[in-house]
Amino acid sequence: MSTAQRFLRNPQAMASSALLALIVAAVLLAPVLASHLPGAAELGKAFAGPEPGHPLGFDSAGRDVWSRLLHGGGNSLGGALIALVVALGLGVPSGLVAGYYGKWFDSLANWASNFVMALPAMIVLLASRAILGPTVPVLMVVLGVLVAPSFFRLVRGIVANVRRELYVDAARVSGLRDRRIIARHVLIVVRAPIIIQVALVAGIAIGLQAGLEFLGIGSGDAPTWGAMLNEAFQNLQRNPLLMLWPGLALGLTSAALVLLASALRDVLEDRGAPVPNPRAARRVRVDPPTTPDTAGERASLLSVRDLAVSYGHGATAVEVVRGVDLDVAEGEVVGLVGQSGSGKSQTAFSVLGILPEGGRVTRGSVLVAGTEVVGLPEKEYRALRGGVIAYVPQEPMSNLDPAFTVGSQLVEPIRVRLGSSRKAATERALDLLRQVDITDPRRVFDSHPHEISGGMAQRVLIAGAMSCDPHLLIADEPTTALDVTVQAEVLDLLRRLQAERGLGVLLVTHNLGVVADLCDRVAVMEAGRVVETGDVEQVLKRPRHPYTRTLVEAVLDDVPARPAWVAPRIAEVPA
Amino acid sequence: MLGFVLRRLAAGVFLLFAISFVSFVLLSVPHLDVARQLVGQAATQDVVDAKNAALGLDQPVLARYASWLGDAVTGDLGTSWFTSENVLTAIGNRLPVTLSLMLGVTLVTAVLAFSLGVWAGVRRGVVDRFVQVLGVVGYALPGFLVTLVIVLVFAVQLRWFPAIGYVPLTSSVPGWLSTVVLPILSLSVASVAGVSQQVRGSVIDVLRQDYVRTLRARGLPPRRVLFRHVLRNASAPALTVLGMQFVGLLGGAVLVEQIFGLPGIGSMTVTYTTRGDTPIIMGLVMTTVVCVVVINLAVDVLIGWLNPKARTA
Amino acid sequence: MRIRRFPTVGTAGAVAVALVLTGCSGAGGGAAGQSDPTLDIATMTIPQSLDPVTAVGGALPFFQATYDSLLKREPDGAYSPMLATSWTWDPSRTKLSLALRDDVKFDDGSAFDASAVKANLERFKASTGANAKWFSGLKQVEVVDATHVVLHLDAPDPAYPHYLSDAAGLMANPAAFADAEKLKTTPDGTGPYELDAAQTVVGTKWVYRRAENYWGERLPFDGVTMTVFDNETAIVNGLKTGQVDTAVIQDANQQSSLDGAVGLTTTPVDFDFQGILLFDRAGKVTPELADVRVRQALNHAIDRKTMLEQIRRGKGASTSQIFGTDTSAYQEDLDSYYAHDPEKAKRLLAEAGHADGFELKMPRMSSIVTEAIASSLRSDLADVGITLTWVDVDQGDALRRIFSDREFSGFVMNLGQSADDWLVIKDLVLPGTFNLFGYTDDTVKALTPKIQAAPAGDAVEDVRALNRHLVENAWFVPFYRMSYALVTDGGVTARPQSGMAVPSLYNYQSVG
Repeated sequence: MSTAQRFLRNPQAMASSALLALIVAAVLLAPVLASHLPGAAELGKAFAGPEPGHPLGFDSAGRDVWSRLLHGGGNSLGGALIALVVALGLGVPSGLVAGYYGKWFDSLANWASNFVMALPAMIVLLASRAILGPTVPVLMVVLGVLVAPSFFRLVRGIVANVRRELYVDAARVSGLRDRRIIARHVLIVVRAPIIIQVALVAGIAIGLQAGLEFLGIGSGDAPTWGAMLNEAFQNLQRNPLLMLWPGLALGLTSAALVLLASALRDVLEDRGAPVPNPRAARRVRVDPPTTPDTAGERASLLSVRDLAVSYGHGATAVEVVRGVDLDVAEGEVVGLVGQSGSGKSQTAFSVLGILPEGGRVTRGSVLVAGTEVVGLPEKEYRALRGGVIAYVPQEPMSNLDPAFTVGSQLVEPIRVRLGSSRKAATERALDLLRQVDITDPRRVFDSHPHEISGGMAQRVLIAGAMSCDPHLLIADEPTTALDVTVQAEVLDLLRRLQAERGLGVLLVTHNLGVVADLCDRVAVMEAGRVVETGDVEQVLKRPRHPYTRTLVEAVLDDVPARPAWVAPRIAEVPA
Repeated sequence: MLGFVLRRLAAGVFLLFAISFVSFVLLSVPHLDVARQLVGQAATQDVVDAKNAALGLDQPVLARYASWLGDAVTGDLGTSWFTSENVLTAIGNRLPVTLSLMLGVTLVTAVLAFSLGVWAGVRRGVVDRFVQVLGVVGYALPGFLVTLVIVLVFAVQLRWFPAIGYVPLTSSVPGWLSTVVLPILSLSVASVAGVSQQVRGSVIDVLRQDYVRTLRARGLPPRRVLFRHVLRNASAPALTVLGMQFVGLLGGAVLVEQIFGLPGIGSMTVTYTTRGDTPIIMGLVMTTVVCVVVINLAVDVLIGWLNPKARTA
Repeated sequence: MRIRRFPTVGTAGAVAVALVLTGCSGAGGGAAGQSDPTLDIATMTIPQSLDPVTAVGGALPFFQATYDSLLKREPDGAYSPMLATSWTWDPSRTKLSLALRDDVKFDDGSAFDASAVKANLERFKASTGANAKWFSGLKQVEVVDATHVVLHLDAPDPAYPHYLSDAAGLMANPAAFADAEKLKTTPDGTGPYELDAAQTVVGTKWVYRRAENYWGERLPFDGVTMTVFDNETAIVNGLKTGQVDTAVIQDANQQSSLDGAVGLTTTPVDFDFQGILLFDRAGKVTPELADVRVRQALNHAIDRKTMLEQIRRGKGASTSQIFGTDTSAYQEDLDSYYAHDPEKAKRLLAEAGHADGFELKMPRMSSIVTEAIASSLRSDLADVGITLTWVDVDQGDALRRIFSDREFSGFVMNLGQSADDWLVIKDLVLPGTFNLFGYTDDTVKALTPKIQAAPAGDAVEDVRALNRHLVENAWFVPFYRMSYALVTDGGVTARPQSGMAVPSLYNYQSVG
């Protein structure tokens, strides 16, 4: 779904932007909508109620409230716009350059940003007002400078992160010039956070501007919502209603901006329920499975029958796994292959009972060591995890909690699950690290995740999976994110552990080479269904289903040295 | 870690110098006729000139800054031009008032915003909507309106708390508490609204992280995953916002201070800056910068402790 | 005057329930009769320092606590003995002889005597204090003996008793003059109270306690606390909750919010007037103003009645004269001399040759010229063809541009109305302070020396003639005298002080 479509379907985004558009239109059309000048006063009518031509009555000086509200909105919103433009103009380019090139400019810009943030804003605003004169635009320019660091820091942080990312390196290698890299890759990533920040800062700028007016440090003569509030506040006892209109205008505008910001975040960062490629699942027509159901005999370790997984509710519900059958016997290694979006990871997650938010098993049966886990209470399910089924994830780095040392992450499940003492658990963890061929277990034990390499991290994760002596290992693309040399080592490790411990393994992968290397049997998934199951030998050499055939041919034609790059989700970029 | 702290403190001192210089030069732009304000509109030009000389305003800016700096490094920030208070004493008298508010608001915000934010982020659905609406309302309500309503209801009508004034913590703890409760309440509304949204967002982000799924797959109880892992990782961005709120209150509590008649830094800033009382303003600038440097450092150390990766970044 | 004890958080709930159940929500915090011997005064005026040379108008009570003045000014404006037992002018009215008390001592034991008076008066004259100009005509202070001094003046100045009952009459210990910095925060006088430095927070709260062995009349309170607030909302809330015993409330809306507050007594104080101080009568900045008809047109264009009704909520009285009701120059019929008459104003402008109008620029300090005043003046003047342009200025900026740069022809001001005729003349009529362009005319030149040289009370006819002349020639555009509210709670009564916005410290009495 494109961003625009998501935006159009998000009721909060639509409602808040409609409200904003309405307010802006009313303000722009002020000369048409209000028949009186905002400054025209008739003191005799001060505080008088509404009358024809004056729908909101009169203020303390006998001026038309409606007209002042509309014209004042122009000054308030215009002021906020000035502040925003200044903040964006200063913050974004400097953040881009500082984050991308680093070096002296980064140090300098960082220092300047800290300098501005340490300035006492109130004093700066008061002093600049005294020096530069009490006009809204001047004050708003100063305000813009004061909030520019918020953009600078945001952009700089993201860009510095992105620069370290694989794809910019790749883009570099393929000879793109810096300017194009910034334009093509970097700007796209920072776009969403900037838009969100703009909505937030706009709200803050309007609020601050009103606050300044309220303290009497404002525009002088020009009407603004803040000045109206101030004036209403002075006359609160006399006519509290005067407070309502500017308060409402201000409140609605900032509320709309906050709501828009939060909706934009959902839309741009796709924070709604993550639907793994639902379009593919719905549209692709799939040939019926060529392997007949083996519904009769069910394997003792893991047996899945007619499993269906859906996201969403009612008419918008999308089925991403549709009637999968799968068996893993003790000591057996079963490969689950298919392209990304074919539902293989969803199948693995539903066996573990850790489907992402919004996903649920809608149908079928999953037996884990003889226990039916579909509909099993969470507490009993938990007893199976770690002890009976264990999980080795795809991305080693993102699957370790950055806040804790490797050791404490290994010790924690051992203590919680096995009730070991701290000492015993530590011993066991060190032992596990040794078992996964880590030469200096103590050092790795004391390291934080960011201090070890990807391959090391994957070994740690495998050690973690082994920590409570499981019978079934579910490995979700365990080597995809690793360098080729490390891939082989990790596969060797898995093979050795499997053999030593007699593990049953469900290996989720898109790499047929890995399957050939490791697996006894293989199941091929396409668009949420298993289209072919069988011995590795048979399926790889004599694929029966057309889809399997395409997969096998693709591997033979062009053995990729490295898996195709998968774009990281924006959500992983710290906002 | 010590090296990091020392480096940051050194940068802070440099910042202090830079900002003091810029502020001093800004303030010396002859926009406010301080001497004329002091001697009154009726005074003759001779009297005004004499006053200017007495204040040292007939000297060049750089010479004045040098002399101010010379005194300042020895801890002498001078005396106010308008009230003859010693600057350090004056700020020392008012800082506890504002600090009381800042700490109170931060405490209330930390507790309430984290609870609400985590609640919304974990439970989602109706709870989430409720917290979001609360956040938007709290954010959109004009602060002074909240303050006025609170004064009228709890002080003037119900008489649960005094409407104005401040009792130092050192002279009476219950007295102190009774004078700061309402101001803290008034300031907390917007603060809780803002920070709870931030916490909610971070909690939702962290809950989506792969390692949370992996921890669950290891069979750890959800409560343990939430309180040990999710909360710790979600705290960093929320702490940054909390730190910024804290700093913002230093000058941003003006309105609340004025309505409650609290002799704090905020109302001091507005009064003395509009008059152009340079010694006091410089004192306030220095106080603010020191607070900002210390608070930012504290937040960074705390974040570094929560998230070791940040230490190297 | 009630015990300022608030329920702590624990008991708050119970109190609230009781209040709700009995339907009592009035200002009944403490029962009357529980006497707290401390007087809590709230004010918005901060004294520049406690050095008497810096004393000005509304800050005077801060000084009256620790200093006595040579003369005492009674609430009605009459002078009575204080440190000086008598004062007499010589026939030329340039020599003022004072007889002093002989039983007053400073805290260090040194006696208050004639040489102390001489030192104080000379120091006041030489200072940069706002009122130092009062003594510009003081030639010499002659010490006759320990209890007698004679003030020698260049020229007669009928306002001397006023000066000596005000800032210039505050007598400090000459031994303290050596350390001027110390004197700014540590008063050293003979007054009824002493500053409690431990409780005082300069800039916020000044606490005084009764001085032992005070020579004079014993004031009813054991202690006085003066707390400074920067807005009247806080003061009004403090009055309502009994945290403040007394304050003067200026803002009309804040005054109204006190209407019906149980237990509070309100006494009107008429001191400040508001209007345009028009000093460009020779037309140096705005040439049109040189014509008396133009100035009269300005006066006729202003709708004083509506302004008073809407802006001051009727709290005050519209007027066309600058002299206050306590002066002998005041004439009631001059209050309504200029009626709101746009037609006449237009006619006058046409006669002066400005039928097409002209532009008048005035500075706007938002603290004085509220939005309502600014826009109503603009539309009133626009109705007769005069374009009023407001130039936004800050307080400090305003003083420079008005008084140093002389950029404007006039400005809207709230000005206290002294009860002393000569003081008004000196400030507003003679070339100087508020007559910055030094404009004068033959009538003024003829009348003022007569008033200056006449014994008090003898010049009534002349000052009245002068007042009428100023009004008829439209030297000013006064709007109205403003009524402030002197608010006291059940434990205190207070009398307004003639010629001052706030009561003297001697004007408060304890009740019950």
